[in-house]
Amino acid sequence: MSRAIQIRVSESVVRTVHVEDGVQSQLEMLPILARDRQAELLAAELEKQGFQRDGAVARRKDADGLEITVDLETATVTVRLGAEADLTESIERRASVGVERRGDAEAALRDDVMRDLDERLNQRTEALRREVTQRLERKLGDLRKELDDAVGRATVAALTEKAASLGHIESVVSDEAGNVAIKVKL
Amino acid sequence: MTTEPDAEELEADDLVETPQVAASEHDLIVMARTLVMGPAAQDDIWALLCASRAAAPKIGPTCAALLQDTLRYAWHALWMRGGARPGASIGAGARAGTTLRGRLWERHAPVPLAFTSASVELLRWLVATPFAAPASTIPTLPARPLAMGDQLLIYLALDAARATPALRVLAAQPFVRAAPLAWLGYANALARRGAAAPSFGSLTEGAGAIVVEALAGELAKRWHAVELGKRAMFEPELLIELGAAQDQTLTDFMAACDAARRRDLALFVIDAAAPLLARNLPPTPAALDPNTTLATRAQARIAAGSLLRTIGRWGEWDQQHRGVRFIDDDYAAAQLLLERFETIGASGLGRAAHWLADLASLVPTTATSDTVAPP
Repeated sequence: MSRAIQIRVSESVVRTVHVEDGVQSQLEMLPILARDRQAELLAAELEKQGFQRDGAVARRKDADGLEITVDLETATVTVRLGAEADLTESIERRASVGVERRGDAEAALRDDVMRDLDERLNQRTEALRREVTQRLERKLGDLRKELDDAVGRATVAALTEKAASLGHIESVVSDEAGNVAIKVKL
Repeated sequence: MTTEPDAEELEADDLVETPQVAASEHDLIVMARTLVMGPAAQDDIWALLCASRAAAPKIGPTCAALLQDTLRYAWHALWMRGGARPGASIGAGARAGTTLRGRLWERHAPVPLAFTSASVELLRWLVATPFAAPASTIPTLPARPLAMGDQLLIYLALDAARATPALRVLAAQPFVRAAPLAWLGYANALARRGAAAPSFGSLTEGAGAIVVEALAGELAKRWHAVELGKRAMFEPELLIELGAAQDQTLTDFMAACDAARRRDLALFVIDAAAPLLARNLPPTPAALDPNTTLATRAQARIAAGSLLRTIGRWGEWDQQHRGVRFIDDDYAAAQLLLERFETIGASGLGRAAHWLADLASLVPTTATSDTVAPP
């Protein structure tokens, strides 16, 4: 007759995870001047918004971790948000088995525990990723408006330059809706 | 004075021997008739596909003759599917650049529609396969060279199975995926990550071009329905696969049309998109799975614009057509295409560009529920 014993398995895991989400989009710039000149004007406007120019790209990293990169040549904006976390999980499990099965039972119990630990960490990683996605989604509205404003001002600057190349600018009138009227004497 | 023939003579003259075929051959013929008859068929296609009968490796001469007789009605089936309507097309070969008007058989000289042993292989597989069984147990139908008639039979099989679970099984077969006509008609069913469409050259000349012309109305309706269905899609991955398949199909098909100087064959794209543009129904999905990454959802939205990108290509063609002068060879063809593109026009083109920009923007406009039409 076999004797029953209780086995106990305890495992804990610490895992450093990095999750990231991001989108890429095109800024709508009207082709008014040569591409490189328009890129210069856009870069100047972006620098006023806190971007730092690095060759053909302008970058900004916000305090909340949001990374914005604008490719000035192609007018492509890339927005990324990432997060890093140390996830800790531990599981303790017990089972009653016959003494002669102790070795096999302990190994099987340990496998179960490790599998469950993995699953829990994956779920927490996914939850973190979703949180990052939601934070990014909330920020995109404001960012779009900010970038649209910068593109709008760069477009006005390009139009003004174009007008100046055609003749003498007599007046530049802009309204609250963002419409700009440039009067040129040829 | 005339004499009535006696009863014995009458029976001898009118006696027609009923062709005798094996049971599996009978199923083969019924399947072929059901596919060719299409919506007018009396048989329940799902019941036929669920039944399974082992087919003999060869068919007898009587069965061959009956199959030949059935497939002879393929042209008739195409007329019934819209090919009989009067229309206009651009001539090919010696008549390139000119326009031809009338019904399809008035616009083109008769050409044979070739069926090969591949058609028999397909029918045999359809008869032998129990489509109600788990997909993993269904034998694969390998790819092989296809004549235009074979392609048409594949298209008809997909069409017959479109409302049944058999569509997915059919669309997964390499045999079916090797048919460009299947891609043109059912790119949505054939969509799969990394899938490659075959060359569309066979559909822009000879019998292939006539088949596409005959099916143009059907193709437009189907692409229109799929476009509306995008508005209700929830899984971004599925939308990405669908958009990739549509992009590949339309880009390659339009390039083939262009190379063959048969841009009129791609007019079904205009017919599919025009009502959507007119009714302001962008292909923007109302709600993509919020648990997926923003990157995946953004990719899915961009993929949803496949038909709109084709309208952009049509817009470029339209500009070229406007530059064709009265003295140029292609003047008549250009005028026909200009006239047909008017249903889209500059306003539709602008709207398509706006929708594309919106789909790709950082914060896309979401389609409201009251504008979401059922697929």
